[in-house]
Amino acid sequence: MRIVVAYKWTCDPEEATVRADGTVDWSRAKPGLSTYDPVAMELARRLAEETGAELIGATVGAKGVGAPIASKAALGRGLDRVVIVEDESLREAGRSELAAVVAEAIRHIGDVDLVITGDSSVDVAAKMVPTVLAGELGWPAVAEVTAVTGQDGTLRVERAIPGGVQVLEISGPAVLAASADAAVPRVPGMKELLAAAKKPVELLDLTALKVPPGSAVMTVTGRARPERKARKGQLINTADPAAAAAELVAALRAAGAL
Amino acid sequence: MDFELTDEQQLIREAVREFAQTEVAPIAAELDRDHRFPYELVPRMAELNIMGMPYPEKFGGAGADNLSYVIAAEELARACATTSVILLAHASLATFPVYKFGTDAQQERYLHDMASGRRLGAFALTEPGAGTDAGAGTTTATLKGDQYVLNGSKIFITNAPFAEIYIVLAKTDPAQGTRGMSAFIVEKDTPGFSVGEAEHKLGIRGSSTPPLYFADCHIPQDALLGGEGDGFKIAMQTLDGGRIGIAAQAVGIAQAALDASVAYAKERVQFGKPIATLQAIQWMIADMATQLDAARLLTYRAAWCEDNGRPYGTEGAMAKLFASETATRVCDRAIQIHGGYGYTESYPVERNYRDAKITELYEGTSEVQRMVIARSYLR
Amino acid sequence: MSVNAWMVVADQPTVGNLVTVARSLGGPVGAVVAGPRSVAETIAGSGVDKVVWCHAPDDAPPEASAQAVADVVAADPPRVVLAGRNPGERVLLGAAAARLKAAVLTGARSVSLDGDSTTVVNAVFGDISDETVAVSGPVALLLDGGSVPPPVGSSAPIEEVTVSPLGLKVIETITHGFEKVDLNAAHRVIGVGRGVKAQEDLAMVEELAQAVGAEIACSRPVAEGLNWMGKDRYIGSSGAHIAPQLYLAVGISGQLQHMVGVTGAETIVGINTDANAALFTQTDYGLVGDLYQLVPAITAALK
Repeated sequence: MRIVVAYKWTCDPEEATVRADGTVDWSRAKPGLSTYDPVAMELARRLAEETGAELIGATVGAKGVGAPIASKAALGRGLDRVVIVEDESLREAGRSELAAVVAEAIRHIGDVDLVITGDSSVDVAAKMVPTVLAGELGWPAVAEVTAVTGQDGTLRVERAIPGGVQVLEISGPAVLAASADAAVPRVPGMKELLAAAKKPVELLDLTALKVPPGSAVMTVTGRARPERKARKGQLINTADPAAAAAELVAALRAAGAL
Repeated sequence: MDFELTDEQQLIREAVREFAQTEVAPIAAELDRDHRFPYELVPRMAELNIMGMPYPEKFGGAGADNLSYVIAAEELARACATTSVILLAHASLATFPVYKFGTDAQQERYLHDMASGRRLGAFALTEPGAGTDAGAGTTTATLKGDQYVLNGSKIFITNAPFAEIYIVLAKTDPAQGTRGMSAFIVEKDTPGFSVGEAEHKLGIRGSSTPPLYFADCHIPQDALLGGEGDGFKIAMQTLDGGRIGIAAQAVGIAQAALDASVAYAKERVQFGKPIATLQAIQWMIADMATQLDAARLLTYRAAWCEDNGRPYGTEGAMAKLFASETATRVCDRAIQIHGGYGYTESYPVERNYRDAKITELYEGTSEVQRMVIARSYLR
Repeated sequence: MSVNAWMVVADQPTVGNLVTVARSLGGPVGAVVAGPRSVAETIAGSGVDKVVWCHAPDDAPPEASAQAVADVVAADPPRVVLAGRNPGERVLLGAAAARLKAAVLTGARSVSLDGDSTTVVNAVFGDISDETVAVSGPVALLLDGGSVPPPVGSSAPIEEVTVSPLGLKVIETITHGFEKVDLNAAHRVIGVGRGVKAQEDLAMVEELAQAVGAEIACSRPVAEGLNWMGKDRYIGSSGAHIAPQLYLAVGISGQLQHMVGVTGAETIVGINTDANAALFTQTDYGLVGDLYQLVPAITAALK
């Protein structure tokens, strides 16, 4: 069985700052594996341990995603090898463009039985790349997955629904997006991290992949800091909790919020 | 000069930090309060290949460099000084002599188990009358037929009685002073070898440091590590490396205290503002951060020397001396910043303060470190 | 009739906002539904011009109709295809977007058609910046679905399509007992963060919620990591976005990943011990102090 984990190497917007003109300054941010990708890797790993499957990592993006530390971070979490498409032209790529490139990478890998991704990336948080990817491949997709067991051919998938969990049976290859709390990823061991450097890294050339172009062209025509409702920013002294509570309640009543 | 950590060192730091923050930090206060040895963490650290990090994979270790090992000790100490010293005593003090001086047979018998963390080790040099004057030990090892007979006692032995393998220093020739000292590998449960009552300490309270008693304890002749008379040299070489780990422990403790102080200063409001806005507090934080950074750099430099085949005795002593004194100073300022609350168990800085002090004392007191450093300059 | 905007719907009819946005673009609005027929009927009466109901076997989840949905949308390609922020809808929208090779935007604050171009003001990176994007070609939008749309008079015709489902079927459904909630409908909401130390302490917050007449919601770690409440109570960048009259943040640091879910609130109150918390740059009324004292005090002040 062959499992691909699609992951992202990127920065957390918490570390970015927004300039007055709305452009984002990432210079202080340090890239890492997107926050919930290790959860996907953990689910994939458990299934691979159960089935003896091959675990392949796949990532696409602009310059930097192919840096050795990025691959080692992924390989150190139980992947057998990684396949990377690193091309600066992908820096401003939209969700559907990225999904199309990942789909080509998966076709290149060949004989893939299952793709597992994280819930969403820490920076964009669109939650759409996995589902567009499935659309590109023509495969079923399920999101909010909390567990997956089984063999290639028939997988048993649990996914969160409002009020509980639903169990699905999937035949044939599929794309599964792991729920952010599906599993606590195991801590990488020291030997695994040191062995990561020796595992195969395959760099694919974007042009050679011949990704069919999208039908839509997006142009950014403006950027702005979002207009935020101006907040009063009033601080209420809390030295005496009862007095603070009374002051707050009075203010909220006066403002019509209570 | 490249101040960047390698990819592996960065990833190792992140992984150990993840382990330390999720599995060690949550029990640190309880270990201290209950004087409890966290025996459940030893197999976990073994599982993560931390227990024998700097030893080659063929011996069961992780094959990491010393700098990575030291970073791991630092991250552990940041969460819990006790857990850090359990690792350091095992890997630097007990496993190192077997790795460096063991015969093939001894390595076959012990090294894999120790480097993999399957069996815990301890190092027994200190005696009631022999601390800084390590050569003044009176524990003897007398050859009788094909066995050595040990008689005497040791104190403050980290990891006893949980350790299974003890590196014991004893006099095979008391008349020769330090040159009459030899090293032995002694297994737990050997008849005549017993462990005394745990010592109640100011800090690292979860670390078990009882005395050992040898009463006509017979051990096989091939338990001798190195040659007769090599013991003092073995001990000193072992401590040379060990003190870099202690420096890392001190750095980790100080980092925890600094982090707590920064968070507290931003939260504590007096005179209508967070105390972080007051210059007195700002200058304390600045001094703490600068000294801590210097201590870390000395520590990493010493580890780098060891990894790159350079002499590291003086460098290790400088790191241990500076980092330990920095840790106690930083923890003192941390309590000061916390004010009265810092004196209570509700905040972690009182534990950091109590833990820090030992780093100025064990594996060579600050006075010993000064002797080592001075000797290298004034020889 | 050539559809200008397609709505993609799974098994819940909570698409009132989609109807509003689709209609605002002008031109015919179609809805393709992969769920029970009753959902198709509700939407047919909501003011859309055409409904296609994908009829799949009873044990097929909505996702099994993804390719069928893509077929419907591709047969009558629109300028815009829209769906609500739910797992099933995301899969259906993904299939449609892939088939159309559409641009996908998930943070649209506004959308309008300008000649051949579609203009979207799109919030990016967890809402820290807004980009105005001009798109030539089809656009797929993920939006807050809204509530169940009210009936508006005559019903649109429902065309039924039999689906050969992708290899996906429901074996079992297990309920876990967290009460469902519609945060969008609540006028007042209290958000619980990690400043609340223990699950038992939620009782104190619930007393306040009763006194205020508020629903309880939370930040992501409380819903997911701690699992103290259902995930439908999580407010944040990939959770609920609400605009109540009053939002009271208790023990929440104010990180953008959470606060982006409440930027539309009329009044925001925050309680946190950290005077430097990001929370206090986003509140109308801030109380720097211990929630364990302030929450009961406010409850008492309301009685």
